[in-house]
Amino acid sequence: MTGTLLFQSLVLGVLLGGLYALLAAGLTLYFGVMRVVMIAHSAFLILAAYLAWFFNQQTGMDPLLSLVITVPLFFLVGVGMQRLLITRLRAATLTMMSVLLTFAVALFIEGMIGFVWSGTQRRIQLPYSGASIEFFGARIAVVKLVAFGLAALSLALLYLLMKHSRFGQALRATIQHREAAQLVGIKTDRVAGYGFGLGLATAAIGGTALSLDATIYPSLHWHWIGPLMAIIVVGGLGSIPGAAIAAMVLGIGQSLLQVPLGTTWAQTIFYVALFATLMLRPQGFFGGRLAQRF
Amino acid sequence: MSDPTPGAGATQEYLLELDDVQAGYGRAAMVLRGLTIRVPAATVVCLVGPNGAGKSTVLKVASGLLKPRSGRILVGGRDVTGQGPQEMLQSGLAHVLQGHSVFREMTVAENVLLGAYTLRDKQKIAERVAFVQNLFPIVGERWKQLAGLLSGGQQKQVEFARSLMVSPDVVLLDEPSMGLDPKTTSTVFEQVVRMRDAGVAVLLVEQNARRALETADIGCVLDLGRVHITGPAPELLADPQLSELYLGGRPAERSLSQNG
Repeated sequence: MTGTLLFQSLVLGVLLGGLYALLAAGLTLYFGVMRVVMIAHSAFLILAAYLAWFFNQQTGMDPLLSLVITVPLFFLVGVGMQRLLITRLRAATLTMMSVLLTFAVALFIEGMIGFVWSGTQRRIQLPYSGASIEFFGARIAVVKLVAFGLAALSLALLYLLMKHSRFGQALRATIQHREAAQLVGIKTDRVAGYGFGLGLATAAIGGTALSLDATIYPSLHWHWIGPLMAIIVVGGLGSIPGAAIAAMVLGIGQSLLQVPLGTTWAQTIFYVALFATLMLRPQGFFGGRLAQRF
Repeated sequence: MSDPTPGAGATQEYLLELDDVQAGYGRAAMVLRGLTIRVPAATVVCLVGPNGAGKSTVLKVASGLLKPRSGRILVGGRDVTGQGPQEMLQSGLAHVLQGHSVFREMTVAENVLLGAYTLRDKQKIAERVAFVQNLFPIVGERWKQLAGLLSGGQQKQVEFARSLMVSPDVVLLDEPSMGLDPKTTSTVFEQVVRMRDAGVAVLLVEQNARRALETADIGCVLDLGRVHITGPAPELLADPQLSELYLGGRPAERSLSQNG
């Protein structure tokens, strides 16, 4: 492996890791707030990508503009999903049953995408699709940079929201001690709904970013949910910083391994990391100490 | 001793009244079966009784975490039966839960300020912060630290401070000494007295019955979901039969000589 190739892989890994980080942040948020394992997270991701593609097809405008519609829409769908579906699950079996429930939601979304837009592979063609810039000898596609910038910006906003807003304080309090949160006057059900909406909003942003640079098809989400689940376990379930760090590390690892192993085998890094985590440190490498903290 | 309104004339105003309350969890049997408790201003009322008597349930009903099946709850004479925790908080009731209930991964400052979650007035919040820091010096000293890293006794004081941010009239304390060593327990009970002296009425639930009755003004012995006996705390402490049944042995020499 030459130095340039290594560097190129490293940069691509960072860019990929940024997208993973945003998506994993959403996924770990559902678990932190509700103890929900949200299998449908990546299905919503692909749905957002389809909506961005469809928006571009219909209007001819930049798919990034579709965020204006999809982010609020997904937020509302998330609130509705939490209030109408998730709260119906019995507390004692919620985590287990949420796997089944959201699995069904994922299948439903996949089916609907296929029904509405067929199973044909889709790709957005943009004026800057083929553009790239040179960065210390590495060639970086502009669309990847845009996707990374979007993910980084969203993560920064999420951080500010969680850390410094009144809502963020309430959400973190709800995650850490629900009953105590109720007793200081936080309407925890409402806050949990908004937390769920926030998680789904990250899928809207991630999907739009993904649509810039990926060929999409209805069942694509199955390729995403495994790595994302692995990331949040490695990072420590419920820990947003943990998820972000694990996403970055594994994203870079995947990118570097693609050179000697090829794309298929490079994916196994997620499952190797998952096995290692469950064997050595089941609470996650950043759980416990960092869990629930910002 | 069996008068339901001890230590007070009939005209006395009560800050918190639970009147003939019945309550329970899900489809299980009723935990509280016609319970009546009255808490006057600036008084520590202590609930003692065996495990499963319904002590914690009393507090959960009072703070709105658990809705009663029947009976009435009055705060400052106003009927607030069936309201949720948010409304109860606004009526002037604060509840400190059993065990550790600080937000562990947040700083002491964030914890205390979340106590003022329902307040908007910045000036008022600053006043309350000064007040609780004065009442619990450890809160000010550890202001920027993560609450989860504090010792058990310190966490308890953070919880007390958090509950006092809304200037409650009544504070409900569920087993504040649980898991604390004897020295820290003494500190915590001193803080309870300081809260009372600051004008707050305290409804205290304690496993450590003897210690709690030494702190309290009024004691209520709970058994099978009802108030069995109620009276001035020193009298309960001195009663040999009560001691035998509920306080684990005969009254201490000290209590006897004080009251007998």
